[in-house]
Amino acid sequence: MKILVCIKQVPDMESRFKPNGSGVWFEETDLAFRMNEYDEYAVEQAVRLKEQLGDAHEVTVLSIGPDRVVEAIKKALAMGCDRGVHVQDPAASLKDPWQIAAIIAAYARDKGFDLIFTGMQSQDRGSAQVGVTVAEDLGLPCTTTLVGFAYDNGTITAKRELEGGVKGVVRVKTPALVTCQLGLNVPRYPTLPNIMKAKKKEIEAIPVGDLLREEARTATASFHPPAKKGGGIVLEGEVGALVDQLVGILKDKTAVLR
Amino acid sequence: MKALLIGEYREGKLLDTTYELCGFAAQLGGESAMLLVGSEGQLPDYGGTLYLADAAACGEYNPDLHKKLILETVARENPDYVVFVHSSYGWDLAPRVAAALKAAQVSEIVALADGGFEVGCCNAKMRRTVKPATSKAVLTIQAGAFPVTRPGGTPRVERLAAEGSGTLEFVGYEPAEAKGVDLTRAEVIVSAGRGVGKKENVPVIAALAKALGGELGASRPVVDAGWVDHSHQVGTTGQTVSPKLYVACGISGAIQHLAGMKKSDFIVAINKDKDAPIGEVADVLVVADVLQFAPALTARLAK
Amino acid sequence: MEATREIYWNIGHGVVLPMYCLTLAAFGFLAWGFVKRLQVYRQGKPLNRFDRYDERIGRLLADVFGQVKVARVKDGGIPHAFFFWGFLTLFAGTIIVMFQADFFTPLMHVNLLSGEFYKAYSFVLDCAGLLAILMLAGLFIRRFVVKPAGLEVVDDDYRVHVLLFAILITGFLIEGARMAVTELQQNPELARFSPVGYLAAQLFTGYDTPSIKTAHKVFWWVHFALVLGFFCAIPRTKLRHMVTTAVNSFFAPLEPKGTIATIDLEDESIEQFGAARVTDLTWKDIFDADACTSCKRCQDRCPAYATEKPLSPMKVVKQVGEAAFGAPEANLCEAVTQDVLWSCTTCRACQEICPANIEHVNKIIEMRRNLTLMEGAFPGDEVRTAVGNVEVNGNPFGLAYAARGEWAEGLDVTLMERDSDVDILYFVGCYASFDKRNREVAQNFVKICAAAGVKVGILGKEEKCCGEPVRKLGNEYLYQMTARENIETIKAYGVKRIVTTCPHCFNTLGRDYRDLGLDVPVEHYTTFIGRLLAEERLSLVPDRFDFTYHDSCYLGRYMDIFEAPRTVLAAAGGRLTEMAKSGYESFCCGAGGGRIMAEEKLGSRISVARVGMARETGAPLLVSNCPFCLTMFEDGIKMADCEGELRVRDLAEIVAERLAHANSHRHGQVIHVEECFAEDSAAEDAGYGLVARIGLSQ
Repeated sequence: MKILVCIKQVPDMESRFKPNGSGVWFEETDLAFRMNEYDEYAVEQAVRLKEQLGDAHEVTVLSIGPDRVVEAIKKALAMGCDRGVHVQDPAASLKDPWQIAAIIAAYARDKGFDLIFTGMQSQDRGSAQVGVTVAEDLGLPCTTTLVGFAYDNGTITAKRELEGGVKGVVRVKTPALVTCQLGLNVPRYPTLPNIMKAKKKEIEAIPVGDLLREEARTATASFHPPAKKGGGIVLEGEVGALVDQLVGILKDKTAVLR
Repeated sequence: MKALLIGEYREGKLLDTTYELCGFAAQLGGESAMLLVGSEGQLPDYGGTLYLADAAACGEYNPDLHKKLILETVARENPDYVVFVHSSYGWDLAPRVAAALKAAQVSEIVALADGGFEVGCCNAKMRRTVKPATSKAVLTIQAGAFPVTRPGGTPRVERLAAEGSGTLEFVGYEPAEAKGVDLTRAEVIVSAGRGVGKKENVPVIAALAKALGGELGASRPVVDAGWVDHSHQVGTTGQTVSPKLYVACGISGAIQHLAGMKKSDFIVAINKDKDAPIGEVADVLVVADVLQFAPALTARLAK
Repeated sequence: MEATREIYWNIGHGVVLPMYCLTLAAFGFLAWGFVKRLQVYRQGKPLNRFDRYDERIGRLLADVFGQVKVARVKDGGIPHAFFFWGFLTLFAGTIIVMFQADFFTPLMHVNLLSGEFYKAYSFVLDCAGLLAILMLAGLFIRRFVVKPAGLEVVDDDYRVHVLLFAILITGFLIEGARMAVTELQQNPELARFSPVGYLAAQLFTGYDTPSIKTAHKVFWWVHFALVLGFFCAIPRTKLRHMVTTAVNSFFAPLEPKGTIATIDLEDESIEQFGAARVTDLTWKDIFDADACTSCKRCQDRCPAYATEKPLSPMKVVKQVGEAAFGAPEANLCEAVTQDVLWSCTTCRACQEICPANIEHVNKIIEMRRNLTLMEGAFPGDEVRTAVGNVEVNGNPFGLAYAARGEWAEGLDVTLMERDSDVDILYFVGCYASFDKRNREVAQNFVKICAAAGVKVGILGKEEKCCGEPVRKLGNEYLYQMTARENIETIKAYGVKRIVTTCPHCFNTLGRDYRDLGLDVPVEHYTTFIGRLLAEERLSLVPDRFDFTYHDSCYLGRYMDIFEAPRTVLAAAGGRLTEMAKSGYESFCCGAGGGRIMAEEKLGSRISVARVGMARETGAPLLVSNCPFCLTMFEDGIKMADCEGELRVRDLAEIVAERLAHANSHRHGQVIHVEECFAEDSAAEDAGYGLVARIGLSQ
């Protein structure tokens, strides 16, 4: 079985974001990067599946972006993926989800992957499109938002997370693509011997130009902080008046009181 | 301008989020039509054209078939936008439709913006303004971002039939587990801190949580003291939460706690100490004794 | 009549040959016992403890003959010391007899055991024997009657006590029998110098001489057999500690306290990191288990044990021994259990008090290394998150690394990237950088430096967690990653001196970073401020306050710094009431060993226990010198419900309030002339400059 995991390197969400020179994405200076959380679940599930099936099965991890994304690939390799693919694209942040999906699909098209794992969305862009779009592009069955995964003899039994904690159970035959949600598993912490081994694993570098033939379908006009919520109002005074003031603010600023 | 709204239906019920689509359409202006894979008995209060397929026949979750139905409707209505709620149903289906239409998709719209759409990014810390570059576009709207709007009236129902089985086999639903409290999913959290004084005062906070339709949270000292069960703990050692509204009652704001809740959309802090660190992350800091203020607020909300 | 006695009286010199043969055989049996154990020790990994012989022998002599470490704990320790000295004297007496009877007399025909020397000899030996019996009785009562909590009684204890009593008593019976027939009748004057023997001789009054002689012979042989049995028992019972504990003084670590072996991460031949099995530990770790006397002093002082957690350092050491002797291939970490291993705060109280020089902490860290590096295990999910945060953002909170220097905005602090020509690099640490409460400490420390005219630089966003908590949790890889980044940054700026407000940073930068190539003097702010005061670069306006002081583990036990902070606080006007546990016996706050990142799920709260001790002093103020302690006590005071009654503050806060020229925020009633300057900020600024100039010129 050939498994592909698609991962993205994203800034730590604790970071403070400010627009870069282009005005359509964030300035990278002072940001700490890590593997997209949802993709960690994808990597973990892929590695668990390989462990279930045996060493003859191979997990490839792919990431698109500038050289820094190699760090995320290395982490996935340390977690147990067998080989890495780095699609080199210093301008990946300017690509729209459709283009990103097209790059992955172009890479995967003739490789015969039986199963592709992706995160359900990225923490920074948050479009939740890439996984499903790759599947559409490759003509693979796809299900999303997995919080449960079991594989047996060519059939995946997946639990999808629905709103309100309800789960939808779905069966799908490989080849297929699934997108992973928080709660699917607890990603392992790479052990030191595996970190050492990962250093020797192959990371294939492919210039993005070799894979991308598609134009963007959306354009970002601007990247900016949300309009001020009126931050940090301090209310003081008599309790009754405070209650009225607060209720007014909550009605005005939140969708909670209707 | 025309929008095709894709209604939501699950476990035999029309979902209220469907009306948020109407709210969005109202803001967008122009015409709309709706497609629903639902049932005859659960028609929405919607006076426009409703393309209705029978969920019993098509399945509630059968993306291949639902996509086919949508494409068929798009062919008939020729809308500018196909609009979904950004939900487990919408984000699953929208990219399939967009890919088939070779259309742009804009996800999780929180507002309309000049010539495009405002979407959240970077864990809702930032916004982007996105414009589709294709003539048709698929949109998903953030749940809760647009007002629930019931246009009223009886829909003109156009029945759709679908054939084929699709590549996915839907086995069934599994009910939500009754384990503890999953605060990460809560829309409103009202948390008790040491400022509530003693265990006997916790119900005051729980009552406020109930009045706001939310869950009870707690800071670590309160949990450690055994006033509230651990499953309610917010913070790095408890649950990291991001509700729409977070009300911190008598919580001074230890760093572990702040890290666990500061991503909340709107934070209200009720504290006697104006300089408590919670004030740094709060949108509103009510300087008051929580034991006086909380019951007063609860009473007011009950009106 | 000459004062002496006939050796081999009543036994005859014919006994010499069989006696020596049997003794040699017993020694052979003793040696064989240790040779077999030696093979078990050898299962451990190599470690060089055969250097610096002079120091090692010095320690051995002090620990064994001086009983220095044993006697530190009065209960048990004092009787042990006196028993040892008594028994040793008897042994020495026997050796003297041996030389006299079998060498001096036959070869040189001189009798040393005569005259005044013999009188003294008799008297000293009798007293020694009596002392040994009394002390042994005391120890017996302690162990079997008083039964101190935690002191285990095993079969060995009965055997050893009976054996020692029997040897001592038969010794006196021999003497008594001999005296009854000889001295009492021939030289009663001499009998006065053997008071115990004299009393023992009274037992034989009324018996005829041949019966007494027969009894004497029997006692002699019984005594001899018991002594041989004693030798044979040494490697096979708890008596083994006579050798192993003593030798362990020789093998005691001589490197700075707290030294942990730095793993060579470049070495690709290493397949096992940390200790999964006992054979992954060093021979010394196994030997330690043999040197343990189960005196439970470690357990008595363990903060985890005291708060109902499953850890007992003594038990861990014992389990290492059980594994080495019983199941060397078994998983040691599983036997010890993760809960036990994660409970340790690495406070070093166990190791500090151990009379046997056992190294408890590093064993636990080695096992933790196996858990983290080989199994990717954590004490809890919160720790997994915190460790991930250190990896990505260089701090356990996961806050943006770029915000690390924000606490210093508007303060008199230089960012190294702008100007690296500073007097000191202040290595701030994660808590003082990000935690609101601890930021106050950093800000006050900077204020103090400004008052002393010390130019302070910080690394700001270039600083990362020193790596101490993750290292203590066993994550050597992440520790070395962050440490190397810090070292590279510090070196690039040509830093001359580093000061920290965190004892954990202090230990790590000052000691651990040396292994990774940082060689810059590192100082804790308490001694730094102490020096500024001593050199009169800093002057304080004392303002009376009552307080109790908490010796943080990593400043006190690890670095032996106890006086400097107390002196500074006294100079600030403080009147100290010590807690019952202070100095080397200080009780951990609960945050060491990486526990600062972990939730305390087992047992009761260590911090609450310590706050309780502070409360007992009646002082309204607890002063600490460590951001972890401060954090734990702020929590502990809330948990113990004694807000209002007890406050915790950092030393820097106390000092900063009493700066001679910057005391405008003081609440005290004492009015000082210097305060006048504070009214006018321009004058205040000028004041700073003046102090700085004067300070530097001195």
